Amino acid sequence: MKVSAKQYAQALYDLTGGKSEVDVSGLIIKFAEELKKGGQLKSTDEIIEKFNEIWNEQNGIIEAEVVSARELENSQACKTKSYIKEKYKAKKVVLKNIVDENIKGGIIIKVGDEIMDGSVAGKLRKLKESLRK
Amino acid sequence: MSSQKDYIIEQLKKQIEGIKTETKTEKVGTVVEIGDGVAKISGLSNVMVSEMLQFTLSRTNADSTRTDAEKTVLGVALNLEEDQVGAMVLGEYKNIKEGDEVKSTGKILSVPVTEKMIGRVVNPLGSAVDGKGAITANKDESEANKSECEYYPIEKIAPGVIARKSVHQPVQTGIKAIDAMIPIGRGQRELIIGDRQTGKTAIAIDAIINQSGEDIICIYVAIGQKESKVARIVAELKKNGAMDHTIVVVAGASDPATFSFIAPYAGCAIGEYFMDQGKDVLVVYDDLSKHAWAYRQISLILKRPPGREAYPGDIFYLHSRLLERSAKLNDDLGGGSLTALPIVETQAGDVSAYIPTNIISITDGQIYLESDLFYKGIRPALNVGLSVSRVGSAAQIKAMKKVAGKLRLDLAQFRELEAFAQFGSDLDEKTRKQIERGKRTVEVLKQAQYEPIPVENQVAVLYALTQGYIDDIKTEKVSDWERNFHKYMKSTHKETLDLIKKEQDLSDKIIKKLKKAIEGFKEIYTE
Repeated sequence: MKVSAKQYAQALYDLTGGKSEVDVSGLIIKFAEELKKGGQLKSTDEIIEKFNEIWNEQNGIIEAEVVSARELENSQACKTKSYIKEKYKAKKVVLKNIVDENIKGGIIIKVGDEIMDGSVAGKLRKLKESLRK
Repeated sequence: MSSQKDYIIEQLKKQIEGIKTETKTEKVGTVVEIGDGVAKISGLSNVMVSEMLQFTLSRTNADSTRTDAEKTVLGVALNLEEDQVGAMVLGEYKNIKEGDEVKSTGKILSVPVTEKMIGRVVNPLGSAVDGKGAITANKDESEANKSECEYYPIEKIAPGVIARKSVHQPVQTGIKAIDAMIPIGRGQRELIIGDRQTGKTAIAIDAIINQSGEDIICIYVAIGQKESKVARIVAELKKNGAMDHTIVVVAGASDPATFSFIAPYAGCAIGEYFMDQGKDVLVVYDDLSKHAWAYRQISLILKRPPGREAYPGDIFYLHSRLLERSAKLNDDLGGGSLTALPIVETQAGDVSAYIPTNIISITDGQIYLESDLFYKGIRPALNVGLSVSRVGSAAQIKAMKKVAGKLRLDLAQFRELEAFAQFGSDLDEKTRKQIERGKRTVEVLKQAQYEPIPVENQVAVLYALTQGYIDDIKTEKVSDWERNFHKYMKSTHKETLDLIKKEQDLSDKIIKKLKKAIEGFKEIYTE
C-alpha cells in the first residue's frame, strides 16, 4: 500500500513530539533514510508542507493572507489579527500582507480555503450585479 | 423631462440603498489540474456532490472585451476525494488555467423552469439558444419580479410508491401500429430501439406532432445530436404546428460532453415542473447511447474504474434513476404524468449489447425497429413480435381494445404461415384466407412520416380490416383505399368519428353506423 505524504507527515509529527533537539535531528536523518528506502524523496516538499499544516493545526496557529490596497499599518494589522484569532479560536495568527491596488480599498482575508471579501472592488461588483437584474 | 430624470435617479438611489453589502465568508479552491472538461481542485472543504461551482478566470486569460458573466464559468463537483475535488466544467474549459480561483455556490445544480420555455430551444442549463432572446420568468409581471425564476434541481429522487398511480390513460402517438398493438400510457417509459436509419426519431417526432390540440406538453431532448439534425427537427415541428406545445433541449455534438451528460436530467427537471402542476408531459430522450458515451468519457477522465465496454460501474444507475422519474402521480399530487420515450441505437441489430439490455430492463416495454423491414418498405419498420408494452391494454380506449385485440395474434400467425407457404402453393382455403388478411394487415399498418392519424380514424380503418371489408381489395391498392376511406369518413360521416371520439367505445349504435359508412364507401370506391 502506498503511504501518502500526509501519513508520512503525521508519523513524523508523532515521533518528534516532546523530544529534545538532539533526538529530533537524529530522527530526521533516520526519517530521511526511510524515505529514500521507500523511494519517496521526491515528495519531500509535499511532506514538509503537510507537516507544517499538522503543526499549525495542533498548536492553534493560523496562517492568514490579507490583501489590502495599501500596506497595513501596525494598529490595523493588530486589529485584523485579533479578529481572526477570535473567529477561528486560534492561539496565534501569522499574518501575510499582500498589497494589491486593484481592490481599491478595504481588505480581503484568506484563511485556508475560506475567503472574506471586504474590498471596495468586491462591493462595487455586487452593486453592478444587482443593478443589472 | 427633468422630473422624469429625477424619478429615475430616485429609483436608482432606492435600489442602491436596498443592496446589502455585508461581508460573507466564502469557500474557495484553486484549480490544480485541468483538461478535457474536467478540473481537479484543491481546497473547497464542505463542498456537496453535484454542487455548482464558479470558476473565476484570472486576469491574464480573461481579456478586457469580455463581460463579467463571461469571466466566470460554471462547473459541477462530481468526485469528492481526500484532499481534492473532481469537477466537470459546464462550458468552455480552455480559458481556465491552473491556479484559477473556484468558488462554491452552495446550490445543487439546477435549471430555471417557466411556462415561457414552451416553444423555445434551450441548452441544458436552461438558457435560450434559438436567438429569440433570454427567457424571463414572466413578462407581464413588474420589473422587480422579473429575475425570480423557479429552479428545479437536475437530480431528483423519483416519486415513491405512494405518490404514484397505475398508468391508465393513453398517449396517442397517431401511429396505427403503435396505438393498436403497443399502446403507450401516460407515465410509462417506452423504449424505442433499433439500428441507425430505421426511423427511431421519426416515431418520436410523429408522437410529438400528434399532440397538437391535445393537453400534453412535449420535451424533445437532443443528446449529442448533429446541430443540422436538430435544426431540421425544429423546422419540421414548426411546420406542423407542434412547437406551440414543445420544448427542445439541445446538447449538440460540438458542445462539451458535460452538456450531453446533464441534458436528459435537465429535460426531465423541466418536465417535472409541469408534472407537478398536474399536467401531462411527454419527454423524448434522443438518444441514451450517446448519453452513456458522454458519461463514459467524463468517468474515465475522472479516473473512475472502467467496467464492461469501458463503461463505469454506475452506468446502469445512470439511466435507471433518470427513467424512474417518469411517473403518473396520484390525484392528491395533482394527477400529472411524465411519459418517457428513450431512444437507443443498436449496432447491427445487437440488442444484447451492454447499454440496450440495461435500458430494456428498466423500461416498461420497447418498440423494436428493424432495418430489414425498413428496406422492405414496411414503415414504421416495427417488429411486432419483439415489440411489447408492459402496460398493455390498460392504456387504450375501449373502442381501440375491441378492434385491436386480435391484430397482434393475426399478424404473428401470418408471419408463420407466410414462411411456410413459400414452399408450395397448395394451401387450403382457410390458410390462404389468413395469408391474404395478413398481407392486408401489414399494408394497413404502413404509414408515412409526419402523418399521424387521429385515434377515431384508426378505429374506423382497423374495424374495416378486422371485419374483412378490405379482403377483396388488391394488396397494392390497400393504401390508396385507406387514404380515400379517411377522406370519405371525414367528409360524409364526421358525426360517426366524433361519436367514437366522445364515447371512446364501440357501442352497438356506433358499430351500426360504422358498418353503414364502410359499406357506403365500398359502393362508390373503384380501383
